Amino acid sequence: MFRCWLSVLLLGVSLAGPLHAVAATIKVAGSTTVLPIVAEAAKLYRVIHPDLSLTVSGGGSGVGVANIERGIIDIGMASRPLSDSEVRRLNTTTDVIPVARDAVAVAVSKVVYESGVQGLSLPQIAAIYRGEIRNWRELGGPDAPILVIDKEASRGTRHVFASVVLGNARARAPGATIITGSNNEEQAVISRSDQAIGMLSNAWLNDRVRAVAVGDGEHAILPTAENIASGRYAIKRDLNILVPKNSSDDVRGFVDFLRSEQGRMIVQAVGFHPVR
Amino acid sequence: MALKWWLSASALLSSMTILLVLGFLLQSSWPLIQQQGATFIVGTEWYPFESLYGMLPAFIGTVWSVTLALLIALPCGVAAAILCAELLPPRLRSTVRFAMELMAGVPSVVYGLLGMWLLLPLLESQLNLLTGRTLLAAGLLLALMILPTIMVLSEDAIRAVRQSQRETAKNLGIGWDATLWRVLLPQAWPGIRVATLLATGRAMGETVAVMLVVGSIDRIPEPFYNFLQPAQTLTSRIGREMAEASVGSLHWAALLFCGLMLATMAVAISLLTHRKVAAV
Repeated sequence: MFRCWLSVLLLGVSLAGPLHAVAATIKVAGSTTVLPIVAEAAKLYRVIHPDLSLTVSGGGSGVGVANIERGIIDIGMASRPLSDSEVRRLNTTTDVIPVARDAVAVAVSKVVYESGVQGLSLPQIAAIYRGEIRNWRELGGPDAPILVIDKEASRGTRHVFASVVLGNARARAPGATIITGSNNEEQAVISRSDQAIGMLSNAWLNDRVRAVAVGDGEHAILPTAENIASGRYAIKRDLNILVPKNSSDDVRGFVDFLRSEQGRMIVQAVGFHPVR
Repeated sequence: MALKWWLSASALLSSMTILLVLGFLLQSSWPLIQQQGATFIVGTEWYPFESLYGMLPAFIGTVWSVTLALLIALPCGVAAAILCAELLPPRLRSTVRFAMELMAGVPSVVYGLLGMWLLLPLLESQLNLLTGRTLLAAGLLLALMILPTIMVLSEDAIRAVRQSQRETAKNLGIGWDATLWRVLLPQAWPGIRVATLLATGRAMGETVAVMLVVGSIDRIPEPFYNFLQPAQTLTSRIGREMAEASVGSLHWAALLFCGLMLATMAVAISLLTHRKVAAV
């Protein structure tokens, strides 16, 4: 009986042993804007390095920064520059590496776009988010109230949008109707509404969620690849990963892969502009 | 002897846990109370970046969504309970009851997704709303979630009324209606009351499903009874913001204070339940 028990135990150990040795895990979390890039890269990287296990989860830029600070993930993702206080806390321990350039699109529902609202100036967008313009009629659109979608305060997309449009990354948006979290959630709300406006990473646009040109009249700029690369589109940002300086070689290897030529191709395939 | 000792040790330990939880919540949110006094509890503005932690919008949101849920689920649940306990044949009764118990077992995120894909578009088109994400959506979803609790426990309470009482009523020539109002419901009332209080606790603490449909905006509806506007509840605020708050910050303390408010409300409800059970 005892021998039987012992052999089961030994079998268990011998099975678990090598499995445990193989599974070096790299944990990545943060911005849902950066996520598609890292997730796609991880898929390929797993093929090259089957011995590694990569987990990629969202949460928002704030979560990426906070979790790197707490030391519970290996790579953080942030779709905005770090704030001054974050730089103070992290710059001795962590590298901030840009992997792509992105535009924050001012996205509207298809119906709104097709009825004529195809360009908005920065003051107009600001007026919408401050609650001074409440109906699409005032902007040449249909006679319908505006569903103004704001984002959770910790989201990188909001930081970038608010700093360009409202003049301050942490500005209030008293005109907001509801608050959403991830790009996914916001995309779903805009596409299911006929009167919504929101801020969305350029890579999340689709047929039902259209970007308007941003700027005055003739000079309104669409967030196209060229305009993002040349820097002419106003609401833009670098997509960053945060890597602790004392990372393991496994982590370094993956970061190098992200910055390699292959990594750049992934960035482009996902819909962003690679960083030179 | 050993058994008795073990029993009392376990009992003591489990009753201490609640004190521990409340103590932890109070201790963690203490920095906020220390810095801002108690005024933030009735504050109407929640802007963590500006160190404004007004609790009133989310508190009102919680109270409203729970009230709506009860207004809908209580009449429906008790009606279903009366039907099952008094009118349905046994086989049908057990089918309905089984369905209710299944409903109680569905994870809340499933209700949340259902709410997002079915309830929100329905509300938008039927009530012509700017967005379906409203207190009403949260209330309807919560009503669905607490309905089984109310129905199952109320049915037990009604069935627990002694058969001889029904027969006596019948022999005295009292109609079914009058028997229900004068005999059955008054006697089952303590049980129904407990069911309601338990359901209230569940509705108050529900997070994920509410978070997906309530709109999550920290603003008191205008006017305050307008449940067709987006709002925030204490749980949905914690769900949305907990991950981003750095441990030990004021924001963290404020979120834990939301937790303390919920826990205190839950304890108050439990005390009420307890008193009523003791009275039976």
